[in-house]
Amino acid sequence: MQAKEIKHLRKPLMVGKLSDESFITLFMLGILAIVFAIASAIVPNFYTVQNMLNLVTNNWFVIILGIGVTFVLITGNYDMSVGGNIALTGVLSVYFCQGANVSQNTLANGLGLPYLVAVGLALLCAMGVGAVNAFFIAKLKVPSIIVTLGTMMLARGAAQVITQGAQRNTSLPDAFGVLGSLGIPDTSIRISVLVMITLIIVAYIFEKKTVFARRIYLIGANREAARLSGINVGKYLTALYILSGLLAGITGILLASEFKAGVSSRAMGYEFDALVIALLGGVSITGGFGSVLGMFVGAIILSVVTSAATGMLLSPDWQFTLKASVTFIAILAQRFALDKRKA
Amino acid sequence: MTTVKTESLRMQLDRSANVRSIIKQFYIFVVLVLIVLTFSVMKLDQGGIFDRGQFLSPDSIINLLRSAVPILTLSGAFTLLMISGHIDLSVGSAMSLSAVVYAWMVLNGYSFLPAFVVTLILGCGLGFINGYLVTKLRITPVIATLVTLSAFKGLALLIVPDGLSAIKGSAGIVMPDWINFYARREVFLGLPWAFWVAVFVIILLTILQRRTILGKYAAAIGGNRLAAELSGINAVKMVWLLYIIVGFFAALAGLARASYMSLGDPLSGDGMEMDAIIAVLLGGTAFSGGEGSVAKTVVGALIVICVTIGLMTVIPAYWQTVAKGTVLITAVVLNHLLVQDKINA
Repeated sequence: MQAKEIKHLRKPLMVGKLSDESFITLFMLGILAIVFAIASAIVPNFYTVQNMLNLVTNNWFVIILGIGVTFVLITGNYDMSVGGNIALTGVLSVYFCQGANVSQNTLANGLGLPYLVAVGLALLCAMGVGAVNAFFIAKLKVPSIIVTLGTMMLARGAAQVITQGAQRNTSLPDAFGVLGSLGIPDTSIRISVLVMITLIIVAYIFEKKTVFARRIYLIGANREAARLSGINVGKYLTALYILSGLLAGITGILLASEFKAGVSSRAMGYEFDALVIALLGGVSITGGFGSVLGMFVGAIILSVVTSAATGMLLSPDWQFTLKASVTFIAILAQRFALDKRKA
Repeated sequence: MTTVKTESLRMQLDRSANVRSIIKQFYIFVVLVLIVLTFSVMKLDQGGIFDRGQFLSPDSIINLLRSAVPILTLSGAFTLLMISGHIDLSVGSAMSLSAVVYAWMVLNGYSFLPAFVVTLILGCGLGFINGYLVTKLRITPVIATLVTLSAFKGLALLIVPDGLSAIKGSAGIVMPDWINFYARREVFLGLPWAFWVAVFVIILLTILQRRTILGKYAAAIGGNRLAAELSGINAVKMVWLLYIIVGFFAALAGLARASYMSLGDPLSGDGMEMDAIIAVLLGGTAFSGGEGSVAKTVVGALIVICVTIGLMTVIPAYWQTVAKGTVLITAVVLNHLLVQDKINA
């Protein structure tokens, strides 16, 4: 009896065995292959190089968001403010950049700052939203779901106030559109995609190789144990929420630059998509488990499913039901697979 | 000497605890009164306090109460669910779906009673699904109901034919004009059936919470689920039942909304979950469950509606989101300061 228990305890420590996280990532990779095969079989023109490339490049914004959301989710918290944060940062970057006193129209007047300064300030504001989240969650210990839903409303609301409920897109310097439009010619790869790939690689190394990241897992697995073993949980949560805010800010600036406009309704529902891809990639709802690579696989699965639905000429109204069903099946499938493995 | 000291210290502590509990008991009423006062004196230069166009004019009050119908109908049941330590983020979508189904049935020639009953049964079904996901499949409530939020919303959008934004009368079919009798025709004191049904619902749920085991069990499960289960409460069944009740009242709220607007808008319930959460938190229900009061949620709901309607008269619509976000954060902080502390102590 006791020997069995000890053996059971030792199991995860055994060398050379796949960790549960890699297992789930591989499992979801398998599912991705199946979904992709089915989609290729039934949707015309799905199995082409251009389409496969698009599956990755068209989703750069959700994937960038997903990195922050994944880490926050691993600690057992939510960040629902990212969508609002994107809208706010985009609008702010436009507002800071617009020429001062150039027109009668209030929506055409901004602060007239140089582009780089504008971007820097907008990113600071994005991190500020993250810091506000962190203050309520880490210091006041209010449930994260409710706080981040509140800051989502505040951020989107602020974007609506600045744009008076519409958008700002006039009197912008030429430099504003460069970041979003520059890329490798004749492909769908733009700077934003390269940023996404870089961030994924950095996040992967960060997750596997740094003490900081491993402690995040400990916090998610058992917050009390983490605290008792000398980890300053509040500091870690603060850092992660600010990181998530920063990533949302980067996304917001790139999107604003791509469209050369700050739109207050931009990124509606992205917080849900980011959560969905993290869950699809095997991040545990209760914390302490998950990986950035898994999230990436999850993003591609969602992208295959939604673009297959579009390819089959289903109405856009299908996307909500479709996303819900896919997430639901994924949660159950992962739990089933993990239970089988442990048994 | 020391005993005297500790004695006086304890008395001081008791007194501060007393003050705190009194504040906790009554602050929400003060907040409501302050908000109403603020909005009613805001445009005084344009007329007397009860004149037409003012916040406290009879027309305005009736309008306010009519707009409050969905949240009043819904938030009582939502309180019970939150007392049990669970949450349902899908109520807004459930409302929209019910509104769409009700409008569709009315448009296609069903009479009031079948449409009414089918919509309510549908609501119970939606709650049943949520309850199943949370209690049987043990998916965290936030995630489970976020997923169903998306699913219900998707269904509502799918029922509405392509090219239309809502279920409404068109060239081919005319929406029967009796659809808005339920939420618009005055039956008593200038208020429609829907409002009096909401009042009845609140009274019923207050009694349910205070006088029946449903309320006691919900609090027990929210306070300490394990202890509740060990003392023989079937938590799975209780929570499931609460989700069904919430679904039922979400459908009733959606029906009132559809009747009020005379159409089935698949987005009409969007954001309702936030309003409900704000109302419940303002009402002093602990977010982690264990304690709370249906009656006080009603005051919270009235605050939400007063702020929404009152702000519309003084500032542009695009301030609405910021205002609501601020109210939510304030509610969270107040709730935290006044409720959570007591639990920790």
